[in-house]
Amino acid sequence: MSVNAAPPPFRRVLPIIEIALLVFALPLPWVLDDFWVLFATKICILALLALSFDLVWGYAGIMSFGQALFFGVAGYVTALLATKSGVTSIFALMPVAAFVGLVLAFVVAVIVIFGKRIPSVIFVALGTLTGSYAVERLARGWSWVGGQNGISSLPRLTAGSFEIEEGIVFFYIALGILVATYVLMRLLVRSQFGLVLTGIRQQEARIAFFGYQVQSYKGVVFTLSGLIAGVSGGLFAFHEGFIGPGQLGPVLSTQAVLYVLFGGAGTLIGAVLGVAIIELISYVLPQFTWLGETVTAFLETGWPVVLGLLLLGTVMFRPTGLIGLLVSDRERVGSFGKAARAAPPQKSQASHEPA
Amino acid sequence: MSAVPFFFDILAYSAIFVLVVLGLGIIASMMGIFNFAHGEFVLLGAFTVYMFQQKGIPTWVGMIAAPFVVAIVGLILERIAIRRFYTAPIVAMLGTYAIALALREAVRALLGGRFHNVDAPLAGSFVLGEVSISQWRSAVIVITAIVMVLCWLLLTRTKFGLQMRAALENPALARASGISVNRVYATTFAFGSALAGLAGGLMVPMYSISADMGVPFLIKSFLAVMLGGMGSFEGSIAGAALVGASSAALPWAIKPVVADLLVFVIAIVIVKFRPEGLLSTWRK
Repeated sequence: MSVNAAPPPFRRVLPIIEIALLVFALPLPWVLDDFWVLFATKICILALLALSFDLVWGYAGIMSFGQALFFGVAGYVTALLATKSGVTSIFALMPVAAFVGLVLAFVVAVIVIFGKRIPSVIFVALGTLTGSYAVERLARGWSWVGGQNGISSLPRLTAGSFEIEEGIVFFYIALGILVATYVLMRLLVRSQFGLVLTGIRQQEARIAFFGYQVQSYKGVVFTLSGLIAGVSGGLFAFHEGFIGPGQLGPVLSTQAVLYVLFGGAGTLIGAVLGVAIIELISYVLPQFTWLGETVTAFLETGWPVVLGLLLLGTVMFRPTGLIGLLVSDRERVGSFGKAARAAPPQKSQASHEPA
Repeated sequence: MSAVPFFFDILAYSAIFVLVVLGLGIIASMMGIFNFAHGEFVLLGAFTVYMFQQKGIPTWVGMIAAPFVVAIVGLILERIAIRRFYTAPIVAMLGTYAIALALREAVRALLGGRFHNVDAPLAGSFVLGEVSISQWRSAVIVITAIVMVLCWLLLTRTKFGLQMRAALENPALARASGISVNRVYATTFAFGSALAGLAGGLMVPMYSISADMGVPFLIKSFLAVMLGGMGSFEGSIAGAALVGASSAALPWAIKPVVADLLVFVIAIVIVKFRPEGLLSTWRK
């Protein structure tokens, strides 16, 4: 009788994790002291950057090593607007940041993605990395935007006559934007559009044979990710009160990659988790004092070594990231559109790329 | 001012750059792996020389040791990690990036985040007519030329070179013909690393050593390899010469900041429209 019984009920874990994280995040400012509120805000802002990378890599399979380019330039533009023209309203600056990210991503997409032939993944990765590096060099040498020192002591963001201080209010703004972006992205990647993206990630040529304009889909998703990275950069500049060449270059670009790979590419919550965990590790590592003198002395400056090794371990042994420990492959791939729930697609085993 | 020292500077920079690109190009074309840790192998070579100097051993000993030290590091990394990545070029990029991060930060922690200088084994300069030419730069150019010729001979005239090319062309058939492809790959990787180590060792007297010295080289070398076309020895060298010379020469003509940007943009656009590399049409 029970031989042919229905498969065990499919329990969805992702919504539980998502809701748990949200419930965990909401009361944070009342529990934590000031420093940790700032820290949590930073995580929310960087989570947006990570999400933007997750969208292009985890869903469309575009290896972008240049997310910091959109992040940083949006930060710079809003910072310049605030310091040189005195615009501080959040309702003006955040759309500007989003727009700058969008336009810039479109320009980069025109170079590395659009075109008659399908560009190799290596070319896209190198093109975006080079863009990020070149603009960092430009910012370092350009004194009008502060050169090496960047732009510091930014005024606070305002909403009407209300000044948004770093702290509880800023935390809720960042969290609000994060949650809103997250929900919109979730709808996007679970739509038919998301299905096409996933198809491109798994088997680009086949999707092209179906008649989809693969390059246009990739361009659109890349441009969208630039928008998200731009918002993140604008928030970051005003939260830290500072933006510098370091926020433009390959270091932050690759940091975004690290967040997402560590957390788990191809699930949105993985990106958020990755940011939270890596930022926490980076903060805690230099403070390990119980490992003995030498280790402590080394970790004080050498803690990124540990990050590198962690990432190497993740890439080698757990390509699905941390989220792969909690969520089944079937749920990670998920289902698309309204009617698709009845027959969840199977994960292809052949691909070594994060699904 | 005469034009000779100017050309000489460009030549010396390009020579170093050709060495870096050669190592990267060999690994990229023979194994299909874009090694993001290549810049850090350059750094390790420089660091070896610096350590030798700290210990009071003459710099030239360090420069001879640098390729071997880096080759051993490369070999160990290949055995532990990189051999897992051969079937998946993107995972290889990410994995080598992780290795790069660990290596760079380890060196940074050991160097204390500062710039250090290393003395050249040949400090003086020649005087040719009215212009003086640094002896060390001339030595670098000569060494590069010799290494280039040796590499070419190794690839085209030896049994190992044949095995390497066979493994590139068709790994399965090479295996069937009794070539240990794994060993060939391991040796190739170590060899490419050694070239990076040599370049790093030779360049420390000209540039000061700091943890971030490898990153610019990495990006420019990638461009050079793509520009020259994957899988060809001459292509890598031509691409390297082009990128190296233009990024050394342009800052004399226009603002350095704009020059860098220009080199990158031009290179990317060329690669976009000619993904097989510059030499591909010419070779046919």
